Amino acid sequence: MGASMSISSLFGKLFGSKEVRILMLGLDAAGKTTILYKLKLNQTMTTIPTVGFNVENFTYKNIKFNMWDVGGQDKIRPLWRHYYSGTQALVFVVDSADHARIDEAKTELHRILNDREMSECLLLVFANKQDIAGAMDPQKITEKLELHKLGDRPWYVQPAIAIDGEGLTEGFSWLSDNIKKLPKYGGK
Amino acid sequence: MSQIARPTAMASDPDLSDTNAKSKTPSTASSSHQNNTLSVASRRGRYDASGRKRKKLRSQYPRGSTENHVEYILVASFDIDRGPVMEHQYPVAITGDEHMLAELMLPDQAHVRNQDWTIFFLHKDPSQEEEEAERRAREERRARRARRRDRAKGIIHESDDEADGTGLDDDDWDDDSSDSEPEINEGPPLIYVLNLVNTKQDKTVKRGAIPLLLLALEEYFKAPVPETLAMLYNAVNEMDLSLMPKLSYLERHLLQVSDNKDLFVEKFEQMIQERIAEEQGEDLADQPLDASREPPKRPSIFRSGTKQHIEGHSAYAVPRDTHEFESKVVYKGIPIPIKVPVAVMPETVGDFSLIKLIQNFSEPHAKNPQTFPLHPHLTTNGPNTHPIIVLVNALLTEKRIIFLGHNMPSGEVAEAVLAACALASGGILRGFTRHAFPYTDLTKIDDLLKVPGFIAGVTNPTFEHHPEWWDLLCDLPSGKIKISSKIEAAPITEGLVYFQQQNPAYANLVGGGAAANNDLTGDAAFMADILRSIASRAGERVIRAKWRGWIQKFTRIAAAFEESVFGTSALHITSDDPEAATLAQYGHGYVWADEATKVRELAGNVTRIEAWRNTRSYYSYIQDVAQSYTLRPLKGLDLAHLHDRLRTQRLTPQQSREIYDALCKYVRSYDEICLLLSVAPESQAGLFYVALGLFHKDRDVRFRTADLLERIAEHEAGQHWWRALSRFEKLAYMRIKREAEAEARAKAMQEREGGFGIGSPTDNRRAS
Repeated sequence: MGASMSISSLFGKLFGSKEVRILMLGLDAAGKTTILYKLKLNQTMTTIPTVGFNVENFTYKNIKFNMWDVGGQDKIRPLWRHYYSGTQALVFVVDSADHARIDEAKTELHRILNDREMSECLLLVFANKQDIAGAMDPQKITEKLELHKLGDRPWYVQPAIAIDGEGLTEGFSWLSDNIKKLPKYGGK
Repeated sequence: MSQIARPTAMASDPDLSDTNAKSKTPSTASSSHQNNTLSVASRRGRYDASGRKRKKLRSQYPRGSTENHVEYILVASFDIDRGPVMEHQYPVAITGDEHMLAELMLPDQAHVRNQDWTIFFLHKDPSQEEEEAERRAREERRARRARRRDRAKGIIHESDDEADGTGLDDDDWDDDSSDSEPEINEGPPLIYVLNLVNTKQDKTVKRGAIPLLLLALEEYFKAPVPETLAMLYNAVNEMDLSLMPKLSYLERHLLQVSDNKDLFVEKFEQMIQERIAEEQGEDLADQPLDASREPPKRPSIFRSGTKQHIEGHSAYAVPRDTHEFESKVVYKGIPIPIKVPVAVMPETVGDFSLIKLIQNFSEPHAKNPQTFPLHPHLTTNGPNTHPIIVLVNALLTEKRIIFLGHNMPSGEVAEAVLAACALASGGILRGFTRHAFPYTDLTKIDDLLKVPGFIAGVTNPTFEHHPEWWDLLCDLPSGKIKISSKIEAAPITEGLVYFQQQNPAYANLVGGGAAANNDLTGDAAFMADILRSIASRAGERVIRAKWRGWIQKFTRIAAAFEESVFGTSALHITSDDPEAATLAQYGHGYVWADEATKVRELAGNVTRIEAWRNTRSYYSYIQDVAQSYTLRPLKGLDLAHLHDRLRTQRLTPQQSREIYDALCKYVRSYDEICLLLSVAPESQAGLFYVALGLFHKDRDVRFRTADLLERIAEHEAGQHWWRALSRFEKLAYMRIKREAEAEARAKAMQEREGGFGIGSPTDNRRAS
């Protein structure tokens, strides 16, 4: 872990690529930590509930990502706002099979995006756990999360199966393409 | 997902009331979640056995005392649905917000580590606490009087020793009020909570440090019931510290600063002698047992760990190092050795290392020097001020300080915070641990930001993204210190303006900017010396003593600054007492070689002194100065001033004669000698400058100095200082003593002859 981190930070220095800060949020047990370590280590890890947060750096398509995964239990959700400052993209993870809590997820998502510090950031939604029978498809998720209300903010819903790594690359391709369009990155 | 984490914590405190208490009832964790922390909190109580005879040495923790080493044991766990919850509390429930406590006990990212520890402090609500303490103190006094009456009537209580119920726990002024030394009230007590976190994954628990809590936590995993906690609680509280002698304020001071492992060893021996005698049923009441006198004949007691001790199988042993009392806790039949510090300095909590802290922020600076944006309170040596000096300046001027240790165990972060507190305190100033949060996380950020000037340890790097939260950020992994871009500008203060008006020639040196290259404060030289000492493998105690010296010097310079700018200083006590007034004529305060040196050094210090004068540590220091004035012998005589004049100034024989005369005249009793030793620490020159009086031009000065040294050599602590004296000075002493004896003989002979002369003129005639 240490080695790969230092290599990616070395690349960052050599090519002067700016770091992109990404915040990954979502209800508890949506699969955030699994996604983080699948991306970072390309390994499926058995995760335990996150006490606080995880943060990792990795490089994808020449962009250095600094990705924060913050615990999703309702008790610690009020802490999310402390991570907003300086965030360029929000990755919101949804358990597509959890019909009972999709409304709760919607409320939380809109609360995050309404914060002044998040007004500029991109939104990538992972409609996770597509392998479970009865999982909602991206269309349904878009509808349930009321993403059409978001105005001119760039957003994208990517179906995924985090434990197999399915959909993650696609999601991050969208993210890196759109990040390059941001005035903060490349634009400057 | 499998739920595997289960931290457990044990803690101790009577009534905790959190200011924003949102009380939640504790709930038992379901058996599927296993993430527990164990924390033990102890209130170092004040104990006293006032029933004993005056001349006997007292124990710091007498046998039969009702005060406990540990007050509470708490167990918390991380529940997958509810987050941190309190699982068990023993012997009774702690009051206050249990949910917050459970959060405190389970550090951020506990799930990625097998084991971790933290320490935290619980403050009691002041208003409620004051009433409570007062009430208890009243009851205590009443009970004490009642016991005394009963004792007079011959009734013996089960525990006849007095345990002080007011529960000042972090004091080292821990003498009972019945003693000659009153304690300094540090405000409502702090409760220390030592916290061990163990993340249990699939029932394979790894072993590591903190053996006792670890054993107990393992035991708890096997049997998560209150009885397991009761066993630990009893084991810890049965630890016997009754053979640890109680030291006076001056003695503690000497022991803290000294590196000598034998200092006051006699007291430990005497404690054992007394215990043996007690056990043999002897009455020691009439034997001379004062520490300053010769101890009675003794059966052989050996130093712990020595060959004799091991072969002798004796029940008692004197510690190898008198700074630490060795005891043990027997837990489940396993004796676990515990070392308890004999003389505790204020603001020294836990097992930290100043050396480690200093190295952590000095090594990256040495390789790749850091330049700071200027801030008058912090960069007192300009942009190249040493990071450790920036840190200590921030602590002294009450800035908001964060120690960030991303991916580090919270225990290491907590250690850095505790070390920083000790750095700024030097065992002299206080108020740092009271506002320290050795480990905290985002959940407590709103409360943290309400505290003006805090020292907090965190592991979450998001803190770095919020410069509005802190003034100084110390990043532990990189060893870099950052001054916040949003730090409040230093105000222009009266004292600073006065100083500039009084010393126009030095006005532009104030504020650190122009001072970059000439080290007005002497801090660059000081840091170089510290780093040299560390490089030459000087021990932690040596480094702490040097820092203590730095803080001592800072307070004395601050006093000199106040006197020079405002005409008077709250840090210097003047008394109307005629005797003290006589002694005061010898002068007081910090000593400089000349006036120009003084003004330059003041100029370098003005900004941080002015900022310090507004802080909690300044105000409590004023109280402490006033309090220690009442305790000390030779009121009005500033021995440090006299000693510094000998050390730093070029004196005429007449001037030095006055100083030696004063020392020889006034330093006589046990306590007075302790005071003199305290201004001439072994780590500096010891008695070197005092002994220079042996070479004074004036014969009387030489003789009196020899007498003074003789008194010191016979002194229980002074003997070590005497031994460290150079051979050259010792030889001079011998020569003078011989001279004095020869003169005395001659004089006696003359007198004898003279006497005869008066009595019988015939003899006289014959002799002449």
